[in-house]
Amino acid sequence: MMARLARIVKKRIVSGDGGWAYAFIAVALVVFALFTAYPVIHAFMISFQEYKPLGSTYVGFDNYVHSFEDELFWKSIKNTIVYTALTVPVNLLLSFGVAILILPLKKWLQTSFKAVYYLPAVASGVALSVVWLWIFDPLQSGILNQAAAFFGIGNQNWLGTSATSMFSLVLMAWLSSHGTSIIIYLAALIGIDNSYYEAAELDGASFFQKLSYIVIPFMKPTTLFLLVTGIIGSFQVFQNAYLMTGGGPDNATTMVGLLIFNNAFKYFEFGEASAQALILTVIIAIISFIQFKFLGNDVEY
Amino acid sequence: MTNKIRVFASVLALTVSLSALSACSSGNNGGNGPGASASNDPGAAVDAKDTITALLPPVSANYQSNFDQMETDFNKLYPNLTLQIEPASWEDITQKLDTQVNAGSPPDIAFIGSDGISKYVEQGMLMDITAEATSDIIGDFDPVPLDYMKNGSGLYGFPAYMSIHALGGNKQFLEEAGIDWKSVQQNGWTYGEFREAIKMGVVSSGGATSRYGFVFATSGVTAKDYLNILIKNAGMPAAFDKDLKYAYTSQNYLGVLKAVRELIDDGSMPKELSSVDAGKRWNMFLTGQTMITGKGLATFENSAKTNNKKIEAADGAVEGSIPVDYVVLPVPTFAGADPVASAAVDGYVTFRGKKEPTEEHKANVAKAAYFLASGKIAATTNTELLVEQITDSGRAAAESLTVERDPDNAAASQRLQSIASPARPDIPAELGAEAIKLEDEVIIPKFQALLADEITPEEMFEALKKAAVEAFGEDGVVTE
Amino acid sequence: MALFKRHTNRKSILYIRNGIIIIVLLAFALATLFPIYFMIISSFGDPIEAGAASYTLWPDKFTLASYKFFFDYSEHSYRWLINSFVVAACVTVSNVLFASLAGYAFSKIRFRGRSVLFAVLLCAMMIPYQVTQVPLYILIVNIFQIENTYAALIAPSLVTVYNIFLAKQFISSIPTEIIESAKVEGCSQWKIYAKIILPLSKTVMAVMAILTFMESWNTFFWPFLVTNTMEMQTIQVGLKNFRFANTTYFAPMMAGATISAVPMFILFFSLQKYFLEGVTVGAVKG
Repeated sequence: MMARLARIVKKRIVSGDGGWAYAFIAVALVVFALFTAYPVIHAFMISFQEYKPLGSTYVGFDNYVHSFEDELFWKSIKNTIVYTALTVPVNLLLSFGVAILILPLKKWLQTSFKAVYYLPAVASGVALSVVWLWIFDPLQSGILNQAAAFFGIGNQNWLGTSATSMFSLVLMAWLSSHGTSIIIYLAALIGIDNSYYEAAELDGASFFQKLSYIVIPFMKPTTLFLLVTGIIGSFQVFQNAYLMTGGGPDNATTMVGLLIFNNAFKYFEFGEASAQALILTVIIAIISFIQFKFLGNDVEY
Repeated sequence: MTNKIRVFASVLALTVSLSALSACSSGNNGGNGPGASASNDPGAAVDAKDTITALLPPVSANYQSNFDQMETDFNKLYPNLTLQIEPASWEDITQKLDTQVNAGSPPDIAFIGSDGISKYVEQGMLMDITAEATSDIIGDFDPVPLDYMKNGSGLYGFPAYMSIHALGGNKQFLEEAGIDWKSVQQNGWTYGEFREAIKMGVVSSGGATSRYGFVFATSGVTAKDYLNILIKNAGMPAAFDKDLKYAYTSQNYLGVLKAVRELIDDGSMPKELSSVDAGKRWNMFLTGQTMITGKGLATFENSAKTNNKKIEAADGAVEGSIPVDYVVLPVPTFAGADPVASAAVDGYVTFRGKKEPTEEHKANVAKAAYFLASGKIAATTNTELLVEQITDSGRAAAESLTVERDPDNAAASQRLQSIASPARPDIPAELGAEAIKLEDEVIIPKFQALLADEITPEEMFEALKKAAVEAFGEDGVVTE
Repeated sequence: MALFKRHTNRKSILYIRNGIIIIVLLAFALATLFPIYFMIISSFGDPIEAGAASYTLWPDKFTLASYKFFFDYSEHSYRWLINSFVVAACVTVSNVLFASLAGYAFSKIRFRGRSVLFAVLLCAMMIPYQVTQVPLYILIVNIFQIENTYAALIAPSLVTVYNIFLAKQFISSIPTEIIESAKVEGCSQWKIYAKIILPLSKTVMAVMAILTFMESWNTFFWPFLVTNTMEMQTIQVGLKNFRFANTTYFAPMMAGATISAVPMFILFFSLQKYFLEGVTVGAVKG
């Protein structure tokens, strides 16, 4: 009798919560519908058109067919995948490592280091690109060339040749963009309740055992978040190539984000740009789906 | 009870979000969108109130600070009209304009390069002001720059100036290398002479070059400036010849590509040329790391002078710079072709919105564009930029303004102005757009690779020929 | 007790370990800090029109002239800072509130369509903004006609999917039993959110506030698109006005960049304490 009552009560709570849930997400949904979903649907419609501001014409799947046949599109996808594979995992490892190392320090040191690593994110992109152009200066005066000369390597035309331009962009990503992930990792690390470590220490666990049995499982949701958003960001990246190399030389650094941008604005082929953006979205969605499959099961304690 | 709270919560949430929206919109200062200005009542009187919007970059150093004055002056001239100027930086103006054009609500006037006209014509978003441009107005402009604002039979705005892309030399270094720069200014030079001359300019010891003969900014998309300036002097002043055949498949083009490699392989230009940008090469020029630089604009004479003064005063000169006398030099000619000065015409281009503009609005926009492109505004801006005036009214207004210019350079500039490559309004917008796409997708990437020594001139030429035949057909391209 | 051993009995080991850690962190920090260092020292140079950036590791000269130049350059310099602040503050507050609400709903409440809705949100995030920019511009400028207003600057980023996702991931690691037991005790979901979830997510909310504020503060392109007078521009748009055709007012630009970074420092240090102290679940339970 009591059990049945409890079940009924529980059922009511669960079903009753649905209303609350909708209330909680109401604002988010309204904002999303207006400012994200509407433009996306608009873009979807444009992808079947030859877009002209004064009146578009319906062209069916032409834009998709054309994109699939375009060599440059595939080359840019390949470049983007190479760039993503080289930057995202390395950045995650670096930020995780730094976050772990900051943890045992005194509070003022923690604060200082957090600030230090976060600073580059604060600086304006203009200032950063000026500095990076100096670092990659092709003549002897360039910082990287001076470093190379120190190791007996000859002058390199960093951004100017296909052989080194992608590497240069990757190097730039390794050294400049992890303030955000360090902060997010630290927040997650601090959220681990001390009682877990205490229990583990009673069992005589070593540092690495604690790391692999407590910290890493606990970091799963955070890692998933950083991985998914990192890959999305990396697939859409176009600023660095746009500012540093313009996609060159010989399209060696043309990322798909830059290609879409060029199609949309340089050539006014808005339909094709939309089609390529949607193809790109499907690719990212598949990759994200796989990540959710492997990392998505929420850890519960 | 819980139900009520739930309803209340969602209502509250929505109200908060809506009030956030509406509270913020009280900041609206009523600026009517560019689209709104085009929707005038067709039956209104001629002097009905109208607003003309203009999107303008910092054309010269003091240009943007004069915006308020321009608006006031225009309103004084036409009391029923309001000119509303929007500032934008050079880097971003195209992107903003393009977004507005794609959204169907561009400003009435935008300051852009004339090479962008064909792209907007194809979108159907430019406003033909042939009918509004009276013979008085047309007569005020020099014909060559005015032609740059035409496409097919339409006139899509008024030119502000014609800037010549030349080269710039260091007088002292030129004389040391035994180059008679005065004769070059007057008579030009051939590629052979140029090649020998810049070889003489190189200073190196032990394999390390401390001064190059010639450095041009070719990083990223600026590579195309370098190539274009050269091919204009190789008998190809435009992408299409008189019969509208694609010109860049001619053997002369291959000749220019070979020359580009030769200059680098000679050691007269740095082998890292492919990533030298505009700032870098100007720095190299001021610090004595190169004898000749490109592209050279008329204002550079001023920039060099300013830096010289700072060196004298030991205050804030460019690090490591030396006093430099800037010499205007023409681009060498190839294969006996006539010299043609590469000209860039920028101006006030007139746009239309989604709605068909009324006759009055068209006339008002033309008035505003002419107001900006002539008279006092043109005179002060062009004087500041050290470029020639291209309107009679501008010349008259500029008489009172003193220009401090080297007489030799001024004469050389005028000579170049007289051989400026003419506009080609006869090239249909569609062909023009195709040529631009070819340039972006084949020429620039391959040329970057050529500069980086990754492909040979022949490979680049073959790739271009193949793409050109695909785009224009066997009969659509030049073959000799 | 923590992840690292305390070594309470052997101080020397503790010092050596921390010393090594600090050296490693410092080395890495040098590499990442360099651009900032460069930005700040260049801002103390003369406000000259540098024909080309002249690079120095050490400033030859120390002057605040560039800062003065920045504020004198346009009468709107202060206005730009205020605009940026108003926009970033509105966006931050609304994101922290609504994203945490939505994040809680998506992670801890079961409701019809939860996973589908969330998947839709995520997918939308994957679409490159280059193609949604024009439709969004049409919506704001042509349909709503709120061009050149704070509303136009703020509305599109009131709640971002990124923040909802971030909140969801963090809240998902809060033990479900706490919520269950609160429910059994008769707490409504709103109470659970306000009394349990909010205090437990202080850390992530501080992180979210900082990230959102910075993102909004640094945004250039959207404010540039929807403003058309100097008075409505934000600091990032204003900064770009320093760039000229072939030359750049280098030092004042760096001064502007430094000025625009200052509010972020302040925000960072004032929110610092929220993510230094871990919030313990036990403390809330009691």
